[in-house]
Order: sequence, then C-alpha cells, then structure tokens
Amino acid sequence: MEKALKKFALLSFLIMLGLTSWSQDKTAAGKVVDPSGLPVSKATILVKGTNAGTSTNEMGMFSLTVPLSAKTIVVSSVGFETKEVSIAAGMMNIALESSSSNLDEVVVVGYGVQKVTKVSGAVSTVKGSDIEKLKPVRAEDALQGRASGVTVVSNGSPGAKPTVLVRGIPSYTGTDPVVVVDGAIQTLDDFNAINPADIESVNVLKDAATTAIYGVKGGNGVIVVTTKTGRKNQKTEITYSGNYAMQEVLNQIGVLNASEYAAIVNEGSVTSGGSLVFPNLSGLGAGTNWQDQIFKQAPLQSHTVAARGGSDKMAYFLSGGYLAQEGIVGGGEKSYFNRINATSNLSFDLSSKLKFITNTTYTNIKGAGVPENAINSVISNALNFDPTVSVLNNTPNTYGKYSTSKYILSEIINPLTQLEDTYNRNNTSKLYGKLELQYDLLKNLKLSSRFGYTNTDVTGKNFTPLSFYGVSHINSTMNADGTPKPGSHNNVYEYKTNYFNYTFENFANYNFKVGQNHNFETVAGFSMARVTGNSLNGSRQDVPFNSWSFADISSATGIATLSGIDLGSYQYERRNLSYFGRVDYDFSDKYLVSGTLRRDGSFAFGDNNKFANFFSGSLGWVVTQEDFFKVGFIDYLKIRGSYGITGNENVNPQYQRISTLLYAYGLGQNAGYSFGNEPTSVGATIASFKNDDLKWEEQAQLNAGFDIRFFNNKFSFSGDYFRKDISGLLFTPTLSLYLGTASLPTANIGTTQTSGVDMNLGYTDQLSKNFRISTNLTFTKATNLVTETNNGLITGGGYGIPFQSVTRFEKDKSPGYFYGFKTDGLFQTQADIAKHASQPGAQAGDIRFVDINGDGKIDGDDRTDIGNPFPDFTMGWNLTLEYKGFDFNSFVYASVGNEVYRAYERNLAMTNKFRSVLGRWTGSGSTNESTNPRYSFIDANNNTRVSDRYVEDGSFLKIKNLQLGYNFSSAALRRANISKLRIYAQARNAFTFTKYTGFDPEISGGIFDTGMDRGAYPQARSFAIGLDLKF
Amino acid sequence: MKNLQYIISMTALLLFGAACTKFVAYDPQEDYQITANDYLKTADDFNKMTIGVYSPLQWLYANPVIGDVASDNAVSGGENATDVVGLQQIDDYQVNPNNFYLSEAWKSCYEGINRANYLHENKAKLDFAGKDALIGEVYFLRAYYYFELVRMFGDVPLFVEKRLTASDSRKFARAPKADVYKQIELDLNNAIKDLPAVNTQKGRVTRYAAQALLGKVLLYQNKFDAAAATLETVVNGPFQLVTNFSDIFLQSGENGAESVFEIQYSNISPFYDWSNPGRGQGNLAVQMCGVRNLAGTSPYGQGWSINLPTKELANAYAAGDRRKAVTILDIEAYKTANPAFNISYLVAPYKNTGLYNQKYHPRKGETSGQVELNYLNNYRTIRYADVLLMAAEANNRAATPNDTKAQGYLNRVRERAFGNKLQNITSTGATLRQAIWDERRLELAMEGDRFFDLVRTGLAATKITGFKANKNEVFPIPQQEVDISGLTQNAGY
Repeated sequence: MEKALKKFALLSFLIMLGLTSWSQDKTAAGKVVDPSGLPVSKATILVKGTNAGTSTNEMGMFSLTVPLSAKTIVVSSVGFETKEVSIAAGMMNIALESSSSNLDEVVVVGYGVQKVTKVSGAVSTVKGSDIEKLKPVRAEDALQGRASGVTVVSNGSPGAKPTVLVRGIPSYTGTDPVVVVDGAIQTLDDFNAINPADIESVNVLKDAATTAIYGVKGGNGVIVVTTKTGRKNQKTEITYSGNYAMQEVLNQIGVLNASEYAAIVNEGSVTSGGSLVFPNLSGLGAGTNWQDQIFKQAPLQSHTVAARGGSDKMAYFLSGGYLAQEGIVGGGEKSYFNRINATSNLSFDLSSKLKFITNTTYTNIKGAGVPENAINSVISNALNFDPTVSVLNNTPNTYGKYSTSKYILSEIINPLTQLEDTYNRNNTSKLYGKLELQYDLLKNLKLSSRFGYTNTDVTGKNFTPLSFYGVSHINSTMNADGTPKPGSHNNVYEYKTNYFNYTFENFANYNFKVGQNHNFETVAGFSMARVTGNSLNGSRQDVPFNSWSFADISSATGIATLSGIDLGSYQYERRNLSYFGRVDYDFSDKYLVSGTLRRDGSFAFGDNNKFANFFSGSLGWVVTQEDFFKVGFIDYLKIRGSYGITGNENVNPQYQRISTLLYAYGLGQNAGYSFGNEPTSVGATIASFKNDDLKWEEQAQLNAGFDIRFFNNKFSFSGDYFRKDISGLLFTPTLSLYLGTASLPTANIGTTQTSGVDMNLGYTDQLSKNFRISTNLTFTKATNLVTETNNGLITGGGYGIPFQSVTRFEKDKSPGYFYGFKTDGLFQTQADIAKHASQPGAQAGDIRFVDINGDGKIDGDDRTDIGNPFPDFTMGWNLTLEYKGFDFNSFVYASVGNEVYRAYERNLAMTNKFRSVLGRWTGSGSTNESTNPRYSFIDANNNTRVSDRYVEDGSFLKIKNLQLGYNFSSAALRRANISKLRIYAQARNAFTFTKYTGFDPEISGGIFDTGMDRGAYPQARSFAIGLDLKF
Repeated sequence: MKNLQYIISMTALLLFGAACTKFVAYDPQEDYQITANDYLKTADDFNKMTIGVYSPLQWLYANPVIGDVASDNAVSGGENATDVVGLQQIDDYQVNPNNFYLSEAWKSCYEGINRANYLHENKAKLDFAGKDALIGEVYFLRAYYYFELVRMFGDVPLFVEKRLTASDSRKFARAPKADVYKQIELDLNNAIKDLPAVNTQKGRVTRYAAQALLGKVLLYQNKFDAAAATLETVVNGPFQLVTNFSDIFLQSGENGAESVFEIQYSNISPFYDWSNPGRGQGNLAVQMCGVRNLAGTSPYGQGWSINLPTKELANAYAAGDRRKAVTILDIEAYKTANPAFNISYLVAPYKNTGLYNQKYHPRKGETSGQVELNYLNNYRTIRYADVLLMAAEANNRAATPNDTKAQGYLNRVRERAFGNKLQNITSTGATLRQAIWDERRLELAMEGDRFFDLVRTGLAATKITGFKANKNEVFPIPQQEVDISGLTQNAGY
C-alpha cells in the first residue's frame, strides 16, 4: 500500500514539473445587491473556470485579484440565482435575482457531483439545515420521514443504531446501506461518530443508475454524507449551538399491582390443584411498581462550536462537539452515551492546478449500557417481577440493598438488583477522514487520488459481580449471608479491539463538449479497499471485595482457574478490488443519458466466482426544455428512467474449519472428552461446511420517475416507482437436522422482489413580507416478497425459555413475517371443544386455535402468517414557518401497518401478569377474547404458544419534533459582531398516537428482530432549550 | 505533450490496478484458521478426531431421563407445568413434535454419526499403528448413535459413506428400522474385529463393550440365539459384580469392575453456557434430579426436582433388597434418620413423590464452575449386571431355551442385591422370563432403559398410564425434519 502511495506521489510530482508559467494579474471589484437594492453579504465571487474567488462583505462589496486572461466572474449566494458577469474596469454593480427553487443545486454522486437538473437517477436529499433543526444524536434519525424511499426504525437506547432500509428489504444477510463520507467509504455503524451538526447535506442514492458505480457494495443503497467546508477568501464565521434536554419515558405498561397479582396467583394455583399461595390478601395493597423504579428522568445535551473560512490559497472548517446522553432506563450511572468530536476539513491550493484536501475527524465515545430487549433485560424484569415485595430489602441479616422474591426462583430477578449489578463501560476512539489530491491535468480533465480511512480503537470492561437474587433463586451466586456459593466467582472481562479500514481510489473526471449541445461528463478509475479488525480480550475471576472499584484483570486474583486469566482473540480482514466508469451525456440539458460500469473482486467470494460485473443505464427527458411544451404554470418537468445491476457481498468466506474446542458456546461444535479422571482430552471435528461457489447477491433494479415544479417554483413534486429483483440471495439456510451441528454455510439461495413508490411534495412560499412557509411531505412504500428459497424457509427471531421461534424468511411471504397460530376466541363449554378440531389439552376457557389446514387436528401444521413487522408505508411531514424573528418547525412521522409481537410477557407461574388477565375467562359466556383465556398454572392447552394473541397493530403517528425559535436582531448585536442569535424551545417525541399497548411500537433490529418487543428500550420524550449563535 | 502525460498516467494507474488481483485471494490461514485441508495428516489428528466422535455422547444426558420419565419408574417433576415442558409432555403422554429433548437427541446422534462417517470416509488417508483399533471405536460409536435413534424414533435416515455436506440436506428418506439395525450389527461386528479386549485409557470403547451393545441390539430385534451367543463372551469376560451395590454410583466406582461401557463426564474443565447447557463436559441430568434448595451438612447437593421416582417403583422392591436405598432417596425419611445433618429442603413443587434418584443425585464437591452444569457423574451405560440379565433373557427366550443358565445369571444379580441366596429364582419358562424382566426394572431403575424395555417386551401399554399402542412405541421426530427434510412423521403425531 505504501508503495502504491509513493508511486502516485512520484507520478504527481512528475506531472507538476510540466506546469506552465505564471501570468500577470488585474483587479475586479464591485457591489452585489438583491432585487430590492439591499447589499448581499457573503455572496461568493469566483473567476469562471477556476477555484479562485472571494466573498462580499457586510456592505455587499468585494475586491478580487484575477489573472489578466480572466473574462468572467460567477456570483452566487444562497437564495439567489447564480449570475455570470463580464469583468469590467472600476466598480461593477451586480443585481441578483431571487430563486425560490435552486436549480443550480448539485447532488453528490459516486466519484463526482451532478447538477440536480441533469440527474436521471433517483436521489433523495436532506439538507444540513433540516438536520440542525432536529438535533439528533445520530444523523440517520434525520433521514426518517425526510428522505423519501428510506425507512428508519429508531432505537431508544442511547447512541444505538437504528434500522435503516433504503427501498425495502432486498436481502436477508444485511440491510445496511453503505455510507460514503466525503468520498470515503464507511458503514452505518460509523454514524455514531459523526456529529450531525457538521453535516452539509445527505444524499441517498436509491436506484441502480446512481448505486451501480458502487457495485457489490451498492445493493442496499448508498448514503452520501457531505460535511461542511470553508470557502476560499471567506471571512471567518464562528458558530455555536447548544441544546439541553430532559428525557423521560412516555408511558407505562399495565401490570398487576400486589393485591391483584396475589389474587390471580391464588386462582392459578387453585385451578391447577394447588393450595392458596397468598392465604391473606389484605395488607398487600398496591405493592411496588417496578417500572417507576427503573425509569429515570435523564438529561441529553449537545454543544458544537465551529469555524469556517478561507484565504486565497486555502479553506477550512473546524468544529468541536460534545454530546452527553443519559439513558432513561436506570439513569446516567448505568446507561449513557458521551461523545466528543473534533473535525478539521482543510483544502489547499498547492498550485493553480494541484489541490490537496485533508478531512480529519477525531471522535471519542464513552458508553455504558444495561441489558436490553431480551427476557433478561431490565425492562423485562421490571414488568415481570413480584409486585408484593418492597423496594428495599427488609429481611434482617440477608445480603443486598434491594428485596428478593421467595416465589420467583429463576429467570426473572429484581430489576434494581440487576441494575446495581450491571457494571460495564466502553471507550471508543475513532479517527477518520481522507487525504485527497486533485490535479487539473487538462482543461476539464481532473485526476483525483483519494485515501479514505477509519481507525477505531475500542476498549471496554464488564464486571459480573457475585449476586444475590434470593435464597433459592438459581441465578444467585451468593448465599443469603453474602458468602459466595461453592464454585461461584465474580468475573471481570476486558477487551481491546482495533478496526482499521481504508479505501484507496484513483480516478479521472473528464468533461467535454462536442459541438454546441452535446455535453459529456465522464469518470473512470479503480479502487482498493481493505477492512481489518483484531481483538484481544481476557477475563479473570475473583475481583477483590466483589467491587467494581477493583474490577480489573490486574487486581483480580484468579485463583479459581488453573491459568488465572482466560484469554481470547480474533482477527479478520476483508478486501475488495474494483474498476469503475461512468458516462453522463446530455443534449442541451434536454435529453439525458447515463451509463455506469463496475467490475468488482471480493476476497469473500468462493474460488469459482472471484469477480463480478455490474452496470446501469438511465435516460431523462426535460420536457419543459422543448419548444412545443407550453403549459404556463409548469416551470419544470423531467421524466426519468433507469435500469441496472448492483450487488451485495455481506458474506464471509466459507471453508471447512476444524474445531478443537473442549466445549463450545452456542453450538454443538465441541470436540473434547474426559476419559476417566484425566484432564479433558482435546478432540477435533469439522465445525463448518464449505461453499466454493459462493458469490454476490445480484440485484436488478428498475426505476421510473419524474420531477415537476409548478406555480413559479413554489410547488415541487417528485415521484418514483421502483422494482428490485434480487437473485442469489445470500443466507444461511435451515437445513436438515441430520446434517449434524456444524455451522451451516452461507449460500446463494433464494430470490426476493421488492417494489414500491417514493414521493416527495414540497411547497415553499413567501406569503407576505414577514411570513414564509416551507413544507414538505414524503411518502415511502415498499412491498417485499420472498419469491424463492432453496430449502423452504429460515426461522429467525423468537423469545422465551424454552426458545419459541416467531419470525421467518419464507417463500411467498414478506421477509421477517410472524409465524404462529391463529386464534378464534375461547372454548366456552366442553361441547365447543368436542365440536372443534382435536386440540389436545384444551378445557373450557382455553384458546380455540384455528385448524388452518383443515385436517381435524390442531398441530404445528396449523401455524400461519400472523403479522408483518414492517410498515405498509411511512410518511413524514415537515413544516417550517417563519414570521419576523420567529421560526416554527414541526415534524410528524407516521408508520402504518407495522405489527408488533408482544414478547415481554414471561408467563411463569409466579411472575407478574399483565392487566389483560383481569378480563380473563371465568365461566361460560364471560368473555370470548382470545387474549383473555382462563388463568391456571397448568396450561395443558399451551395458551402461551406463539399466536396472534400476542400480535398487535403497531401503526403509529409520532410528533417527532416541535420547535419554536426566535432570532434576535438589534444594533447592539451587530456592534458586537453577532450576526445571529437564536434561542429556541424544542420537544422531541412529544406525542405518540398508537393502539399498541407496550412502550413504543418502533422496535428496531435486523429482519428477524424488528417488531419483536422483548422489553425494547423505548424512545424518550424530551423537552429541550437551545441557543444558536453566529459571529 | 499534454496528451502524452495523460496517456502515461492513465496507463500507469491501470497497470497498477491490474497487478493487484491477488489482493482479493483468500486463504483461511490468514485468519489463523485450521481447515480440513490441514488435517488428518498424523496419527494424532486421527486420535483427536476420534475423541471428537465421543463428544456427542455427553450431549445425550437427557436420554436416560427420558427412558425413566416415559415409563412407570419416574415422573417429570420440575418447578411447575411449564418447567421442562418437553419432559412434562413425555411424562403426560402429550408429546408433540416440538420437543426440545427429543430434538437435541436427534441432532446430537446425527452429529456423532457425521463425525464417525468423516473418519470412515478418510481412513485410507494415512496408515499408522493402532489405526484399525481406533476406527473400531468409531464404528462402535456410530452403532451407538444409530441404536439410540432407532429405539427412540423407529425408522430414521441412514447414511454411512461420508460426512454429509450442505447439499445433502433433504436428500434422505427414513430407512426401515430393519436396515438401520442391520447397519448397527455390521458396525459392531467390524468394531469387535479390531477393538482390544482392554483399553488402558478408562472410558474408551473395548471389544467387550461392542459385544455387550451387540447383544443388546440383538435382544431388541428378538434375535435371542445370536444375543445369547454374543453376550456369553461378555459374561465370561473380565468383569465382576461389585459387592456393595451403592459403590457403583459413587465417584470412586466410576469405570469400575462392573463397568462395561460408561459415558464419561468431568468437572475438570468447567462450562458456563446457560443457553446450551448440555454442551460442556458436565452431566446436566445430575443437576436435574436433585432435591430443591437442599441445605444442611449431608453429602447431597441441591437440584431441580426433575425425574422423580414413583412410589410404585419404591414399593416394587422386596424387603431386604439393598438396591432400594441406593436407587431411591426418600428425603423426608433421610432427614429424620440423620438429624445431625440439619437438613432443610423445598418439597418438590410439582408432581412431588417425596422420592429422588439416589443413583445420580448431586453430591457436594462433584461439580465446579457454574455448579449446575458441571457434575462429573459418568452415565453407567452398560453394567455387567445388565449383561447378565440380558444374557439370562436371551437364554430364556432362545429357540432352545436354557433356563438353567438363565436362572444362574439372574440369581447372580439377586444374590448381590439381597446378600444371600434365599431370594433365588427357580422358576422356568414364562414365569422366569417375567422374573428376569422384573429384575431388570429393579436392578436398572433410573438408569434409562425402563421405557425401552417395556416397549421391547410389549408390556408398555399395560404398565404405562397414557401409553397408546401403535403410537407411543416411538417418539415423534422433530418438526423441522418434517418441515425441512420432508420426512414423514411417526403415526399418530
């Protein structure tokens, strides 16, 4: 690699030797005004065809030294049409025209930029100003409802990654789109390190025309992030923005109080032939509400200071950010996400033809978390724990601050004890950015060499103390007096992991004209990418004093194990080599044609399939450029279409691994055996299957759309229809059990089909001198269908002990659909049972399951589709109003048709119950609701089996953002050089309208975990105040 | 000039790119991974892989539990109706194809078979001293796994040539029981040919173990003449009945004079994974059968009150039978008899019988690490007493019965049980046969064979409540094998 860089540097040097000599200079000066004659400050003045330029001062004045040969300057400013002016001697007076729709806007596409008007692919754009309004912790949250075609399912846990789907679910192995930050390739996980305030714009590349240049990485869409930069000759501009919020949980789940719980438990025991568990109900009262105990009000604050500007040879953007979010579950001591960012984006003109750009960001993240979205999560424990015991331990001479239950002896524990015993922390240091050389070899021929990198160091520590959850609780590792149980030890685990990724890309952009009207923009190049990770971890038992304060491998004594310290390590590496090229052609901005080619090699593909080719083509027709088109109110109309092939390489090399483990966690791959009293003998076995034919997933996407602006550009509308056909789907199949327990190979099986519609309607108007409105409505719909799987289906997410599988990936179904029994009310009488298909164990009051296959008996074959966790469609509505100094922003997001599987109900005999049990069946005719069967400890009918009893409509409408701000404007501020002072109040997630009975119907995860609510971390409601300041 | 620059630089870039295609080649050694290509090149590799064939034996910890819970010997117990659901269903005769314990047994046996097949497939790769004996162990183990499958599930997919690859999924149908038994006999005969009579490493398969298993397999097929002949060799082998019956089940009695074959467990390398509790070196069945919350200074540890002996089993022991106290722990009586131990415990919360499995009850100091998962107790798979009783039955049921011999073998077992000859059996014919069967129950209770013996002898329907003839002789095969592999389910499930 180093060699490669040297080669390029040498080459660049040689080329530089051929530079032509300098020419003489002259001066261009003038004043820039708006249509009403007022000066326009900070307008950009560039010498046409160069990057040399300046900007206007407060009085709209500028002065610029230009080469004698220069003839024209280009004047641009946000909100105005860009104007070209011939250079004249003396003071030029330049009047700009307002533009309500900026047709000169560009979008950043792969290896270049394109004017919006020349794009014939499908791209969604979210501007930095919209992101600034939301002030999200992670930038993806700003895409939700703002970028059409993108579905974002947010995650409530501090700093955690949401589910992001660009145009549906093409693949099973991974749905994350690739992320390109200033040209350097990253992943969605890296969004945790980006300060959203540093982002200038986000472009989401959706169709094959725009993603095919990323080939095998483009299959899930591409999110192109452009960070802020300075401009040359720009006066220094310093901004500060700060936001302080208080977060809280929106609602609670209805569980039984102590008296209700005791009564129901008594009933359950008696109906199953036992005796009263609580002979005396009086005095139990309401007991303890464990949800009150675990949820805390938690602060969230962020601060960013940034400076941008430039001189005639360089430009800079510097930014420092701090964000601190505490978790609402357990509070800031146990759950937090703290981030520090420092960014420096610099560009230098090394010569008039050679430019050097270096973007560098350092991020440090400190975090801690609590168990989430599982049967052993804090929330699950709070919902299912015994409400009859007090919060604090009041049993004399027993260990522990918090109470224990004498009834719940496994799985469920006191959530406060759990929180107290949860000790972990992690520290992530990340350095990412790029080094880039741009050389203008010829007029319009630019060579670029770019090295993008991300270096991440993660260190962390977990401490598992000895714990006491009750005398007979199987998870107790202590006796009641606080002494360790025989063989029990506390444990500290530490890890250090390094990830280093780079992408080294070399490409040439050549733009030329043939004749007057034939415009060509081309790019060609190659790219090498390498992703590496390695980790060293160790654990040791017997931390002194069973205390987090001493929890370190160096202080633990480790007498319990022979070696003292258990060590582990891993390393991996991925490599890609790619060649790419693109030609964009337009005839007079009227007819657009574009073609892309990419050849990709991946280390992960099997020996028989190392390289893959991807291509795309697109056509566009700007109807409004035609002379015959004379519809007065339509200002702009473009019709677009594209087709192409992209891929997905979310796969690891498959080979027959030999395992020599004495025991194996997670799978039956251990190969040890203990003969007699000897130490365990090391054995060996084949632990995985191989597949030499492994290749990429191939995705063919068709896109058809149009863009229209009408009524003086006040309205804009974009609509796209797409269809994706994916073949060679990579996934781990469910195979015959008689193959044994070796890890199954990933294979190219199956196809899926996704189709949908993205729409975006915008309206912007200056309604009066002081009143401006800007509103935007997005609509995203994607329908996913699995059209072929080789071996039937994949079972995925589930819950419970023993594990019950719920979600599936199966032919003719939507990916990740819920699979289980359909219910049909309750059996009211014995006669009902006799009439129904044979259902073993059923009694009056039990759930009647539907005999789907009509074979007269209820068994596993009667399970069917009982829900889909992914929405039918989502909508976002963004509204901004500005009146004098006031500004108002609201953002509403709706998700319709997503279903949630309620998997947080544990249903052990003595765990707490949910309020629906109060409406249970108590005799013939009492109720016929499938959700309310009779209650008994013995559940011969298995009423708790996976069924639509637990499926709820999770459709929701959330008011995600409400913000009211005021801009101060006074002479005093101007004298203090403060160009902007804005204060605002903000409410995030102020209201959620949903029928879902759990905390939050928005439950993120992969295909198999989205919509599975095992006690998911709910999103917080927060109220914030903030300050924006600009000098 | 400028065009030249352009051509030179573009050519250089392209050449550089082209030189790098090896950039995307991959060898697992980069990630320090050993693959099949690196293996089976030394005798040690063969030995290690053979050890790997033994491992799945340990995962079958629940099979003996099933064998008693499904019979009249024991109830499932547990915390409540929803604890150990799979065992509850087996006990209650409401078993369905989604049964954790049955599916684990199925998967574990087939993993063992695939591991064995891999060695069979590659045995010609290398010659070394002792190879035939090693492969003999492999054949024994394959026979053992198939035997577990065939007696639990009846007809099962049968493949012996190679370790299956992913593309073999769904390729097999269920082979008739008779074919499976034929293969088991073939494997055992091959094993007998090459295995040594004794193996210095305790717990390794010997020729006698293979012969004893073959005798059992023949008995299950009612091939009594052949069974009698095969078992005779073992009867005359180097084994003896341990004088004190209770010694057999102590740690000191493991791999003892009476041991023909034992599945080995150990607490030396403790295991911690709750999500796959049977995949370590410990015996989880031991934890299962313990008294709940047992405290005090007795030698017993606590457990989960699963697999509780029935009162009916306890009452089946005649007065003076020393095996009763060794087989059954009446915890309340024990507490009363030993006040010095200061015992307290939780009455079994579900299906309580007051009785516990003494043979495999947790004992203090015999586990480590995550205490529940690491009990060292070997599973006494085939004891010499079992061989004697099988030989007695084979002789009694042979084409030309030899009841004298049968009585002799039976009475050796009874004399040890009672410590005298007063209880000896002198009957013949069907009465003797019944006496042998009764003796099997008493001698081998809580050792996992009762259900299979009742099915084999046709007595299951009369002895087991809930047992439906022509259905419950076999368990349902896992639902996934119906859904994915397209196998037909057993009748009635």
